[in-house]
Amino acid sequence: MIRYAARRLLTAVPLLLVISFLAFLLQQLAPVDPAEAVLHAQGVPQVTSELIAQKKAELGLDRPLLRQYASWLASSVQLDFGLSYVTGKPVWSLLGPAFMHTLQLTAVSAAAIILLSVALGVYCALREDAWPDRATRGAAFLLTAMPPYWLAAWLVWLFSVKLDLLPTSGMDSAASFVLPTAVLAVGYAGVYFRVIRSSMIAGRNEDYVLYGRANGLTERAITRRVLANSLQVAVPMFGMAVPILLGSTVVVENVFAWPGLGNLSVKAILGRDYPVIQAFVLLLASSFVVFNAVSEVLSGLLNPRLRKDL
Amino acid sequence: MKHSRNALSAIFILFLIFASGCSGSGNEPAAEAAKQGQAREIIYASSKDINDMNPHLYSGSMPAQGMIYESLVEKTEDGIKPLLAESWDISEDGMSYTFHLRHGVTFHDGSPFNAEAVKVNIDAVQANAERHAWIKLSTKIKEVRATDEYTVQLLLDEPYYPTLLELSMTRPYVFLSPKDFINGQTKDGVAGYDGTGPYRLADQKPEQYAVFEANESYWGGAPQVKRITAKVLPSGETTLLALQKGEVNFIFTDDRGADGVDVEAMQSLVDSGRYQLLRSKPMNTKMIAANSSSTGPVHERAVRLALWHAVDRETIAGQILHGAESPADSLFSGNVEYADIPLAKRGYDLKHAAELLEDAGWKLENGGETRVKNGRQLALKLYYDAASSSQKTEAELIQSAAKTIGMKLELIGEQSSSVAARRASGDYDLLFNQTWGLAYDPQSTVSAFTAESSYARTTGGIEGVEELYAKIGKVTGTRDEEKRKALYKEILTTVHDEAVFIPITHGSMAVLAPNDLEGVAFKQTQFELPFELMHFK
Amino acid sequence: MKRISRLLSDRLALLSLAVLAAIAAAGMLAPWLAPHPPDEVNMALRYGPWSLHYLLGNDQLGRCVLSRILYGIRPSVLLVLAAVLASVLIGAAVGMAAGYAGGRTDALLMRLCDVMLSFPGYVMTLAVIGVLGVGLQNILLAFILMKWAWFARIVRSSVRQIADADYVRFARTLGTGSLAILFRHILPVCVPELAVVASSSFGSTLLQVSGLSFLGLGIQAPQAEWGMMLSEARQSMFSRPELMLAPGLMIVLTVSAVNFLSDAMQQAVDPQAGSSKRHQPERAEAALIGREVA
Repeated sequence: MIRYAARRLLTAVPLLLVISFLAFLLQQLAPVDPAEAVLHAQGVPQVTSELIAQKKAELGLDRPLLRQYASWLASSVQLDFGLSYVTGKPVWSLLGPAFMHTLQLTAVSAAAIILLSVALGVYCALREDAWPDRATRGAAFLLTAMPPYWLAAWLVWLFSVKLDLLPTSGMDSAASFVLPTAVLAVGYAGVYFRVIRSSMIAGRNEDYVLYGRANGLTERAITRRVLANSLQVAVPMFGMAVPILLGSTVVVENVFAWPGLGNLSVKAILGRDYPVIQAFVLLLASSFVVFNAVSEVLSGLLNPRLRKDL
Repeated sequence: MKHSRNALSAIFILFLIFASGCSGSGNEPAAEAAKQGQAREIIYASSKDINDMNPHLYSGSMPAQGMIYESLVEKTEDGIKPLLAESWDISEDGMSYTFHLRHGVTFHDGSPFNAEAVKVNIDAVQANAERHAWIKLSTKIKEVRATDEYTVQLLLDEPYYPTLLELSMTRPYVFLSPKDFINGQTKDGVAGYDGTGPYRLADQKPEQYAVFEANESYWGGAPQVKRITAKVLPSGETTLLALQKGEVNFIFTDDRGADGVDVEAMQSLVDSGRYQLLRSKPMNTKMIAANSSSTGPVHERAVRLALWHAVDRETIAGQILHGAESPADSLFSGNVEYADIPLAKRGYDLKHAAELLEDAGWKLENGGETRVKNGRQLALKLYYDAASSSQKTEAELIQSAAKTIGMKLELIGEQSSSVAARRASGDYDLLFNQTWGLAYDPQSTVSAFTAESSYARTTGGIEGVEELYAKIGKVTGTRDEEKRKALYKEILTTVHDEAVFIPITHGSMAVLAPNDLEGVAFKQTQFELPFELMHFK
Repeated sequence: MKRISRLLSDRLALLSLAVLAAIAAAGMLAPWLAPHPPDEVNMALRYGPWSLHYLLGNDQLGRCVLSRILYGIRPSVLLVLAAVLASVLIGAAVGMAAGYAGGRTDALLMRLCDVMLSFPGYVMTLAVIGVLGVGLQNILLAFILMKWAWFARIVRSSVRQIADADYVRFARTLGTGSLAILFRHILPVCVPELAVVASSSFGSTLLQVSGLSFLGLGIQAPQAEWGMMLSEARQSMFSRPELMLAPGLMIVLTVSAVNFLSDAMQQAVDPQAGSSKRHQPERAEAALIGREVA
C-alpha cells in the first residue's frame, strides 16, 4: 500500500514540473514587455529605454530562459510570485486570501453536491420511472441546461430581493454561502445524481441482491449494500469534481461579488496583470494534479483491486 | 419512454419558473424598516477596492483619500479658501508662499499637526518627485521651511500661478502623520493611514469592503454620519440588487467617470420612493483620446477629424445618457477659465467625414467595407472601461457610424487601470477618457499634455508639437493675465485643430442617496464628496 | 448499425436532432433568414417592444433582437461545433497513433495527454485569454487545446483493446495496410463512445463560451452572441426583463437538445443498465468527461 501511494505521488512530480514550465512560459507569450509593464505599474512617468534595460537586469530578465525558470520556480514554491502589474503589491497578497475564499465556497459546494447527488440518486433509483423520478430528472435536465448566471439572477431576485431571506452578494456571513452554493450545486448535482441513480439501478440487478433477498435480508439492508457499492464508483467522480469546481467558480463569483479566485482572474485578465494570471494558472493546475493523485491513493485504499493498474 | 416524460416534466417546471419570474419587479424590502431608530450609516458601492491609501502615491481610491486626508487650502466656488492653513502671504515675486497653519489640529493617531509635519510631508513628496511630474508644482518647489511652530514657508524656483490650486488637490500634497513614515519616507510605503480629515479608516478587507468611522476630534466638528462603509461590488445588476434591497444605500460616479448602475436603473430606484438622485453642475468633458504618435492610421489628422464628425453627440447625450449629460463640442466648455475662445464646431456629418477620408487617400476598394490606403486598412482599436455600461453603448454607436464611412473600429473592454496603463505607454489608437474636472481645468489637464504618464503620446505626433510644449511650459510662469489668455488660446486652438481629443459630452457627478439623507452636496472636484456635511433627517 | 437504428427509434432523440439541425441550418442561412442586419443601430427604436416589424423587439441600441439571435447561432453554436469536431479529429488521430504504435510513442503521447488534462476547464481558457487577449477564437483555441486529450485517451483505450484482437491480427497477416485496419476495424469501435463524449462536451462548452462572453472575455462587440446578449440585457434586467428571455431560452433549448441527444446516444451505445461491473467506472467517467459545468 505504501509503495502504491509513494509511486502514485511520485508520478505527479514530473507532471507538476511540466505544468510549472508551461505556466512560466505564459509570461513569455504575453504581448507586453514585463520590464516596461512593471515600470508603468510603479507609475514611473518617463519610461526610457535605459530604464527598461535597467529594470530588465533588476528582474533578471536578461538571463537564459532556463535559469529564469529555475529561479521563478524556486520563489513560486515559497509563494513569492512577484509583484502585480496593477497594484505593485506581491501577487500572493492578492491570491492567498482569494484562494481561501474560493476554497471555502468550493468545500461547502462540494459537500452540498455530494449530499444532493446521493440523496436524489437514491431517491430516484428507488422510485425508478415513477412520477417523482421523472419530475426530478426533468427538473435537473432543465436546470443544467440553463446558463448559471441566468439561474443566479433569478435566484437572487427571488430569495434575496423579493423574499428578503438572503444577502444579494458578498461574503459576509453564513447566509452569503447559500445562493452561490445553490447555483453551483444545481449545476453539478443535476449531472452527478444520474450517475448514482444508474449505478444503483444497475446494482439492484446484480446477482448478490437476488441471493440476499432469497436469504431473507430486508429491503433496507439490501439498499444499503447497493448504495455502498455505488458510492465506491462515485468516489473518483466526486474526487474529480472538487478541483473542477475550484476552477469553475468564475461566473458565480462575478454575479455574487465573491472575493475569490474567479473574480481575481477575470480582473487580472481585464487588467492585463500577467503575474497574477500566471500564478493563478500554476496554483489551480497544481491543485488539480495533487488532488487527483491524492484521490487515486484514497481510492486505492478503499479498493485494493485498483492498485494493480499502476 | 423515459425521455418523453422527462421532457414533459421539464416543460412544466420551466413554465412554473417563468410564471413566478414574470410577476413584476422590485418590492419594498424589509431591511429598511429595521433600520429605523438605529444610527444610520452610509454604505456605498464601488466597483474598485480602495487599495493602498498612501496619500503620496496614486493607487488609492480618491474619494476615500478625500475623507481621511486634507490639504492646506481648498478650492471652492468662490476661489481658494483656507483649510489646514488659516491664512497665507505670497511674496511680490511670486516665488515664496508663507502659510499660517490652524492651531489645535491633530492627526488620527494623536500627533500634532504643525509646521514640522507639513515640512516632512512635502519633503517626502518631493523625494519622489519623478512620480509627481504630472503636477508641475513638484518641479518648481525649491525648499520648504518651518519657520516656527505654525508657520511654513514654501520657496519656488520660479513663479507658478497655479500653486495654491495644486496644493488643494486630493493628492499628493496632503498630510499624513509623521509617525506613519517609514525611514523618514513615504514613497516605499507607510505604516498607517492617519490623516487629519473628518473620517478615519477603521477596518479594511481587501476586495470586499472598507469601513470609515467619524473622527470625533475633527477640528471642523465631528461629522454627523458616524460610519461609512465602502463595499466592492461589480457595477450593474449586482449593485442594483444591493440598492433595491438596502444592503447598499449610496452610489456616486467614480474617478474614471463610471456609474455603478445606469441612468434608467437610477431612475427606477428614485421612483421607488426610497432614493434621491442628485446631479452636480457639469464638471468635466468626456472624450476620446486619439494617439497621434501611433504608427497606425490614427496618426493622420484627416482620420481623427473624420472620426470627430462620426460621433453623434446629440444621440449619445439625449438617448444613451437620457439627457443627464450635454453634448460637448470642444475639450473645455466655454465656462472653463481661459477656454472661452472661438473654436470650429464639427457636427455629426457622415458625408463630410467620408469626404475627408476620401481626400486623404483612404479609398474603398471593390465592394470592400473598410477603406484602404497604401495596402493598409483603416482599422482602429478603441479601448473602453469594461465596468462602464454607458461607455460600451456609446462605443458601439460610434462603431456603427464609423462602419458607414468605411472605418473599422475594434472595441476592447478592459479594467480602467489597464486603460490608464495604455495611455501611459502609448499602446492604443483610441481610448475613452475624461478631463480632470473643475479644479484642474484647464491648467493641470493642459500641463498633462506633455506628461508621459498622461497625454504625451496623445499629443506627441501632431504638427508643431515642440512649439506647443514650449507654450505649455511658458503659460504657467506667465504673470501677465493677457499674455496667459493669449497663450491658452493658442494652445487650445492647436489641440482642437489637430483633433487629438474628440469631445463627446460634458459629464457631471451623480449621487444616488437615501431620501432621508440631507446635506448632499458636491465639491469643486469630481474626485471627492463632502461626506462630513451630510446627515440623516 | 444496430445502435444507429436504436438511436433513431427513440422519438425524443429524433426530435432533439431535428431541433439541432434546424438551429444549425438557421445559423448558416442567417443572412437570408434574418429580417434586418444584426448590427444595424437605430437609436430611435431603443428598447422597442415586440412588433410586426421587429418580432422580438429591439435591444439597447435599437438592433433587431431576432436577427441577432439568428446571427448569434454562428458563434454560439456553429463555431463551438466546429471546435468540438476539430478536437475530436485531433484527439482521434493522436489516440489512434498512440494505441496502434504502442510502446514508447504510446507512453509519450499519454504523458502529454496527462499534462493537458491537468489544466481544469476554465483555467486553460483563462490562461489562453490572459495571454493572447480576449476573443471568441481564443476561447475556442483553448477548448481545442484542452479537449483533444480527452478524446485521445478514449480512442487510445479502445484501440488498445482491439489492436490485439484476433481478427485484427488476421487482417494484418493478410497484408492489409495499417491505415486500412485503423479505419475499417478500429475506428467503428471508438465512434459510439466518442459521439457520447463529444455531444455532452458540446453542451457544456456552449455554456462555457456564453459564460465567458457574459464576463466580457468572449466575443467582442458588435457581433451577436447569445452570452453577450445576456450580458447586455443584464444591465436592464429589471426594467426590461424580456431582453434576457430570448437569448436565455435559446441557450436552454440548444443545450437541452444536445443533452437529450447525448443521453439517447449513450442509451443506444449501452442499452442495458446492468452490464458487467467492469464497465461502470468507465461509463461514469464517460458521462462526466464532457460535463464540466460552466
